[in-house]
Parts: sequence; structure tokens; C-alpha cells
Amino acid sequence: MASTDAIEIHDVSKRYGHGEHSVLALNHISLSIPKGTVFGLLGPNGAGKTTIIKILTGISPLTEGSASVAGFDVRRESLKVRARIGWVAAEVILDDDFSGWENLQLQARLQDLVDWEERANELLAYFELSDRKADRVSTYSTGMRKKLEIALALLHQPMVIFMDEPTIGLDVGTRRMLWDIVTGIHREFGVTVLLTTHYIEEADALCDRIAIIDQGKIIADGTPQELKARVKADIVELTLSDGTDAEAIGRLPGVQECRSQGTGWILRVDSSEEFLPRLLSAVPADRLRRISVEKPSLETVFLQLTGRRMAQAESIRDIRKFYQQMKRLRL
Amino acid sequence: MKSQFLGLYSREILRTFRNPLVLLLTLVQPFMWLAFFGSAWQHVAQQVPSFGGVNYIAFLLPGVLSTSMLSVGMFGAMSTIQDKRFGFMKRILITPTTKEVIFLSKTLGSATRGLVQIPIMILAAALWGVNFTHVSALDWAAWAVMLFFLAMGFSSLFLAVTAPSTDWQTPAVLANFVTMPFMFASAALVPTPGFPSWMKLLSDLNPITYSALLGRSFVLGSAVPWNYLGIIVGFGIIGLGIGYFVSARWLRVE
Repeated sequence: MASTDAIEIHDVSKRYGHGEHSVLALNHISLSIPKGTVFGLLGPNGAGKTTIIKILTGISPLTEGSASVAGFDVRRESLKVRARIGWVAAEVILDDDFSGWENLQLQARLQDLVDWEERANELLAYFELSDRKADRVSTYSTGMRKKLEIALALLHQPMVIFMDEPTIGLDVGTRRMLWDIVTGIHREFGVTVLLTTHYIEEADALCDRIAIIDQGKIIADGTPQELKARVKADIVELTLSDGTDAEAIGRLPGVQECRSQGTGWILRVDSSEEFLPRLLSAVPADRLRRISVEKPSLETVFLQLTGRRMAQAESIRDIRKFYQQMKRLRL
Repeated sequence: MKSQFLGLYSREILRTFRNPLVLLLTLVQPFMWLAFFGSAWQHVAQQVPSFGGVNYIAFLLPGVLSTSMLSVGMFGAMSTIQDKRFGFMKRILITPTTKEVIFLSKTLGSATRGLVQIPIMILAAALWGVNFTHVSALDWAAWAVMLFFLAMGFSSLFLAVTAPSTDWQTPAVLANFVTMPFMFASAALVPTPGFPSWMKLLSDLNPITYSALLGRSFVLGSAVPWNYLGIIVGFGIIGLGIGYFVSARWLRVE
């Protein structure tokens, strides 16, 4: 493994269950995550993001391929890996009956640390929890609990921190605070962060690099700018009055693609600034019931690569089917 | 490994004391056996010759202490399921802590919690007029050691059952299911010589029988069957071995 990589995933597959009811959660994925980056795994629910984290943290064994974290093989050298990683769960997991300090103490013991108190105090000060460290965690606010959980993950000076959907279920204010924390700890402690998210704006705001994952496969990876540059088009969505000739709109200069979706049309155009005047001169304004323009974003990248929007990929039917399958397999 | 064991073991112990209601109920539950069951059967026992005309509370105390170790073991296993469901097991395992250490801290934590009940029960029995003045220091120590191994054995075996699962219903139903045969097909509440042969067989296979009889010999000042101590220690060690083996291989995280 190259010494500049914090995480190396090589041709990894993961299958849950056996036989005809088995589910292929990861399908031959490979990925290198350089040290010191904030790396995002972006994809809809059930895409396989959490499975990647489970494999890398040693919670779940991989079926095929190999993976290493901090230079150690996740299967053969699991204990060495686990001494070098921190983990922040989607839902906060703390001992509510214990104080913040006692939670840190348990974490220090689990990590087999000596002389951890100074580091713990520094972390408490950094997260503005010093004056509450003796209070039971059950009295903390959601934001404070999340901060304490991140402090636990940082206590042993890990090389990599895994954050699984760190902002799921949080209100807007707390989510913003968490974004600042992720950027802050990356800057302050030089730690590599691997986070999963299905929030596009979160991946865009936080990550140096992103891998887009869908149905167990990595379909693209790069910096947010690189990914957006792949979409050499603006997306224009139109809803027209009945009887309007949409085909004619599709023939306007600069239109790369025009397809119907539901009651409207989705157009990929070279430049929306040039296209809109053409559209308005070709179609009477009273025929246009709705226009929306979308510049290249990670959402349009996903749309271009999969033909679906991220929200569509998470349709209720799919989730229900997924959980039914999981239940059958008792996973 | 030592530091991780210490962390998890002290978590087990401290958690009991952090929740006053749990602590109170744990202590009061066996006490209620003495109060209700003991008082109700006191006069019956004195009229039945096989009880030997002894104070029934004195007769019952070692039996109730023994069955308490069964409950303590079950509770430890149930708390493991809780740890899995709330994700805490995952938090522990994403550190260099092995499944073996998790198992050992759980089972020894449960056994230690079981010991807390002993002085309270002894005190309660004394208030009911049971005389302990003839019990020697060696007897007390042997009794405590035996109860510790009994709790460790039960706790280990229950942990072996719950290790591969995250289901909370089955262990709860199972715990209820096994309580009755363990408690009644034993020498805990009544003398076994009058049992039908099939129940006598169950009672002879039941560690609670040996624990109750040994404890009873200390309280009643009769001849001490020291080999029973060996049986219970053996039960504890075998249980620990099985639990260790199963947990190391099949402890599921979620």
C-alpha cells in the first residue's frame, strides 16, 4: 500500500446470506483514500455505504477482495486497525447513566491509553464541554452529545475517523454546527475523515473527494469540482400547457437531450443562459407553466450517471423491499 | 486487555449503582421470597417431618440465594442484548477490544452483582430470627465463593445463548421458561427425598440443588458436604469455558 493512502480498498465484494435469497451489497469496488482528506461516500439509502464502513472497521467481514486501513489489513490485522480508527455513529451511542468524563474514561480504557487525561481535557475544551464534563450525558442536548461522541472518537489520536451519516435526523442548526466541526477537526487534528451521506449538499460542502455509490458499485469518484465538470450541461425542467409542441423545443440549438418525465420535460442544454432566450422566442410565455434551471451539481452528476434522481433511488418501494430481504436473512 | 477488562467490568458494576430503582428491586426481590414465601410456608414446614422441624426461613435462605444467582445470570445476558440493540457493542468492538474480553467482563460483572445480594439477605434472615452465630469464617468464605461460581456458570451459559443473537424476545421467554424447573426441580424450596423419580433426576442434575444443600448445611450447622463445593466450582468453570468459546466465535455485534 502506498504510504500516502489512509484507506485502500481493492476489488471488495460483500454478500449477505447464501443462495437465492442472498443480497450482493457491494459489487467489486476499489478505492484509494489519501491521508488527510475528508472523503465522502455519497449515495442513496441501501447503496452500500454503511457496508463499506462496517468492513473497514472490522464489524463485518468482506466476502471477496482485500482492504487496508492505516496500512493494516482489515481482516488479518483487525486489532491494529481498530487501535488507529475512530467511529462516529449515525445515532449517538453513549452511556447515558455516566458523565461525559466517565464516557471518556471508558473509551480511554477500551483504547488501552495511559496519560489520556490531558488530551481529554483539551478535547472537552475544544468542543466547549469542559463545564459539563461531570454531568450525566442524559442531561446533554443533541448537539452536545454529538460533540462528546466525536471527542471519544478523537481521544486516541486516530489516523482515520469514520462517520456514518453523521447528520441524519439533526435539525438544520445542529447540522451546520457539525459541518463546522468536521472541517475544524480535520484542520486542527489532521485526521482523515471518511463519511457517508445521502445529503448532496453535505458532500459538496464538506468533502475534498467524493465517491458516488449506487447499488453496491462506485459509479464515479473525484473532487466535487471534477465530478461536476463531467456534466457538461445545465438541466432545464419544463412543464408546458397541453398541446404545446415539445418536440420543437427539443430541436432548438444547444439542446443535448430532451425527454419527458411525468407531466413535464427534462432538457440537457449546453448553456441555460443561451437556451432560455431561445425558448422564450419559440414558445409563447403563457404556454410555459413552470421552468426550473439547475447548474451542474452532484445531483445532476447522479442523474446523468444513473438516469435517476437521488430521491427517486430511495423510493419507498425499494426501501421496503430491502428491509424485507434483510429481515428474511435476519441481518 | 487488562485495561479494557477493567473498563467494561467497572461499567457493569457502576451501572447497577447508577440506577437506584434497579438496585433497590434487585435487592428486594429475593428478600420478598423470604418475606412472602417463607412466612406463608413456615407453619406448614414445621408440621412436615421431612423438613426436620427447622426454622423454614433458615431452610429457605440458601435456596433463594442460589436461585437469585440464576436471575443475576439472566439479567447479565439480557443487558448484552441491550448493548447490541443500542449500538454500544459496536462502539466497544471498534476499539482494540476482543470478544473474549467483552464476555469475561459481562459474566464476572454479573457474578459480582450477585454477591451484593448476599449480605442484605443474611441481614434480612437474621431479622427473621435465623441464628448465624455458629457459622465459621471458613463457612462464610466457602458459601460466597460457591455462590460466585454458581452465578458465573449461569451467566456464562446464558451469554452463550444470547451471544449469536440480537433478539430480545427469545432470551426473555427462555429466562421465564427455565426459572420454574431450575427453582422447583431442586432442593431450593423443599427437601428432595419426596420427589417423584423424574423430578429427582432433574434435581440431581441441577446445580441449584448442590448450592442450596451446601448453604443449608452452613446455616443449620449440619454435616457439610464439601464435595458439593467442587461440583459448583466445576459447573462455574465449565460454564465459563462454554461461554468463552461461543462468544469468541459467534458473538454478534448487531
